Amino acid sequence: MWSRFRAGRNVGQASWPVVALERQAPRLAPRLALRLVLRLAPRLVLRQAPRVAPRQARRPVLHIAVVMVCVALAGAATRPRYGGTLRVELHGAFESADPPQTGPGMADLARAFNITLWEGGRRAVYAADENAAGGRPFVDSVEIQLARPPRDQSIDLELGKTDIVELGPNEIRRQQPGRRTWQSQPVRVVALVFSRRIEDFRVREALALAVDRAAILTVLLQRQGEISGALLPQWLSGYAFLFPAAFDLPRARSLAAGAHPLSLGVSDPGLRTIADRIALNARDAGLTVNVAPQGANQGATQGASVDIRLMETRIASADPSRALAALAAAFGLPEPVRAETPDALYAAEHSLLEGFRVVPLFHLPDVYGAGPRVKGGPGITPLGEWRFGDLWIESVHP
Amino acid sequence: MTFRTRLLLIFTAAVVVAVGLVGLLVSAGIQYRFERLESQRVDALVAQFRKEYERNVQEIARAVNGIAASDTAVDIAAKTDYSAYNDTAASLAAAHGLDLLELVAADGTIISSAEWPARFGYKEDWLTQHPDWKSRGAFLKREELPDGVTVALLAVGTATAGDRVLYVAGGQRLDRAFLSTLVPPAGMRALLYRNLQTQFAAADLLDASGSAPATDAAQLRPLIERVKTLKREETNSVGSGAAAETIHALPLFGLDNDLLGVLLVASSRRELVELDAFLLKLGIGVASGGIFLGIALSWWATARITRPVRRLAESAGKVAAGDWGATVEVATADEIGQLARAFNRMTHELVEQRERLVQSERVAAWRELARRLAHELKNPLFPLQITVENMQRARDQYPEQFDEVFREGSATLLAELANLKQIISRFSDFAKMPAPEMHRIQLNGLAADTVQLFGPQLTQAHIVIRTELDPHLPVIMGDHEQLERVLRNLTLNAIDAMPQGGTLTIRTAAHETGVRLEVSDTGQGLTPEECARLFTPYYTTKTHGTGLGLAIVQSVISDHKGRISVESEPGKGSTFVIDLG
Repeated sequence: MWSRFRAGRNVGQASWPVVALERQAPRLAPRLALRLVLRLAPRLVLRQAPRVAPRQARRPVLHIAVVMVCVALAGAATRPRYGGTLRVELHGAFESADPPQTGPGMADLARAFNITLWEGGRRAVYAADENAAGGRPFVDSVEIQLARPPRDQSIDLELGKTDIVELGPNEIRRQQPGRRTWQSQPVRVVALVFSRRIEDFRVREALALAVDRAAILTVLLQRQGEISGALLPQWLSGYAFLFPAAFDLPRARSLAAGAHPLSLGVSDPGLRTIADRIALNARDAGLTVNVAPQGANQGATQGASVDIRLMETRIASADPSRALAALAAAFGLPEPVRAETPDALYAAEHSLLEGFRVVPLFHLPDVYGAGPRVKGGPGITPLGEWRFGDLWIESVHP
Repeated sequence: MTFRTRLLLIFTAAVVVAVGLVGLLVSAGIQYRFERLESQRVDALVAQFRKEYERNVQEIARAVNGIAASDTAVDIAAKTDYSAYNDTAASLAAAHGLDLLELVAADGTIISSAEWPARFGYKEDWLTQHPDWKSRGAFLKREELPDGVTVALLAVGTATAGDRVLYVAGGQRLDRAFLSTLVPPAGMRALLYRNLQTQFAAADLLDASGSAPATDAAQLRPLIERVKTLKREETNSVGSGAAAETIHALPLFGLDNDLLGVLLVASSRRELVELDAFLLKLGIGVASGGIFLGIALSWWATARITRPVRRLAESAGKVAAGDWGATVEVATADEIGQLARAFNRMTHELVEQRERLVQSERVAAWRELARRLAHELKNPLFPLQITVENMQRARDQYPEQFDEVFREGSATLLAELANLKQIISRFSDFAKMPAPEMHRIQLNGLAADTVQLFGPQLTQAHIVIRTELDPHLPVIMGDHEQLERVLRNLTLNAIDAMPQGGTLTIRTAAHETGVRLEVSDTGQGLTPEECARLFTPYYTTKTHGTGLGLAIVQSVISDHKGRISVESEPGKGSTFVIDLG
């Protein structure tokens, strides 16, 4: 996304002052200052504060002034409005007794909203907290429909039945031109996790080499996200490219000789097509991999009935060391040593991955689509956290 | 078994055989006609089924060509980056009701696959090797799918955008769902064998409900293997009874003329079998009625036919019983009437002949009697004549010796006169044989008394006596004196037959209708002619005797309602056998 931003591609819709602001964004100051400005410029569609050169960072006041001018112009055109219900649809079912309390998504609403209705697997309603620390949110409530298939979400968004939906790779392609989308940094790690009973590292390495990541990224992920052989994404660690993610079928074939059939468990239906492709790639390498759908709530220590699991987990911290530790725990790897330097962090991650117990495949972003009624935002942070308190609803003119 | 019963059985057998033969011929004829009609019906249904199959084939080709001609396909063909179309095949396949659909780039690279979405980027080289898919129509092909290998009915269309080509390969699996789309006529069902393995595999035999039952697999295996070997259509019948079916096996060839499947069109023979069963029951009913009617008519006919025969037999029985005047009523002019007339004529002639015979026998008897009397009387008369002549000659020529001659002559005359008297007495006895006085008699005791009586005489004649008397011999009714006379006569005959000595055996035994007495000797024996005349009065083989002994024996036995016979061969002795009731 960052590269797309730099290439001048915009996935949102913005008025001309905002566009001007975006064009100047690389020269702007630190993230907090920029976010303050953006709070005042609701038409701006910006998802990541740019990294700025030190020289540019020495002139923040000038840039803030420019932005303020733009914001004033934009604010004259669209002012925030209070009231209304923000309708959100999610793919996840969240079939639990209580709403999620941690992680990105609904847990983020707790900053500015209070839960008023929870029907696990079906619906959740949050009401605006009049005493929120950052001020009352613009919308009165947020109504969330759970367990909605991606395709249905996209259709509902087209028909105006909802305001914010999750967009999968195929749905992104189908969006109307000019549709506002919010995309986080690649914060979801998709990886193959081998069970303890697969002791032969050659088999694990063979599968790692057999997966044609490029084809999957191009076709199944529609180029959303990044190929990676590392746990931490490039944007977070800066060294991810050092971990190999090459497709080497001849070597995979030589390593896979004599391997027994393997079962590949996949708990997320959204990953099923990737799992099928991996099974097909594995077959080309001489490995027999049978895809076995699993329950959605099976974690790292569960699903012991399968040899391999295709897992997706999130990076919950912008601190690389903490993020690595969390990922290691999620994938059932040993806890890495706390690293204070990039070298130490690299060494720790390398140590985790050298046995091919976990084979990272991709880093994927969160992508949301917003309807024309939704103003303000962006509604998510670079880590995919919800910031729906910054959004407001406007009636749509025919 | 009476003649009528035998005739009835013959008639019944003839009726049964005739009805059976007619039934068989009629049944075979009807069966043949029905089989022909069934064959024509099945052929028509199979033709209809083929049309249904061809219609499906054409529909698949039409659907694939429709997709190829669609704007979507043309748009994809025009693109250089196909990554956005990975799921297009699935939606197109769903929209056109196809199981399988692949969009393939000009170089054979799969852009999108409905049946195996993960297979994008792989090659389908066979698509690029055929020059003209439009004229090819739908065809069968082995298809590898994530869940295994299957046989699919595919068609290929091409979409062009400028010089860019997009192959659209789509179709349907040949599986349960495909079979269910083939709507067979009533009484038919379709099965499909997917020839995916070298050996027959029961799991590859499908019907419209899924895997065919094991019984179907077992029954159809020989037919399928024959089709696999001969690679041509075959027809066979399987099952039995109402479950029987006529199976048409149609080989399904693939793109390279390889046998990929066998479509089995099964036509139930239930209606035919039920019709056959009905006709069989009807035939059995009609045949049974015919047989019953035939037996009834046979009963009447045999009664009508055998009545004169029975009368003839009754008359013959009367004749046999001595009623020589019995006749038969002649009611018809046919062979039976002729037979009756012949019978009447025969009995008439028999009566006449018997009268003539009796007359002649009477004459012969008188002649024999005269001859015997003359012979018997001549012997004593000759000494009388000689003695009287001697006495006359002595008185005339030797008066001094006359007294002595007279005395001797008187003695001789008295002796010969006594002899004459005895001869006359015997004849008188034979003529005046009294009727037997019946009493309970133990025949063994009678035999023992006889042996004891003749003991010294037998010893003197060097004859060994042997008795084999049955201890369980029942008591019979008879005249003790007459039967004793019988035994004495037979014993004397035996002694006369063994002048050089021998063995005399007296044997008694019980049998079903009474008792048997046998008297055997080891003498010279008799010729058959002698045996035939042995019981004739005045017939004798001896130089002395009147020839009345055995005649008296036969007369006594006859008066006791018994029977006497002789068994003899020259040089082996004789045995007289007497059966008494």
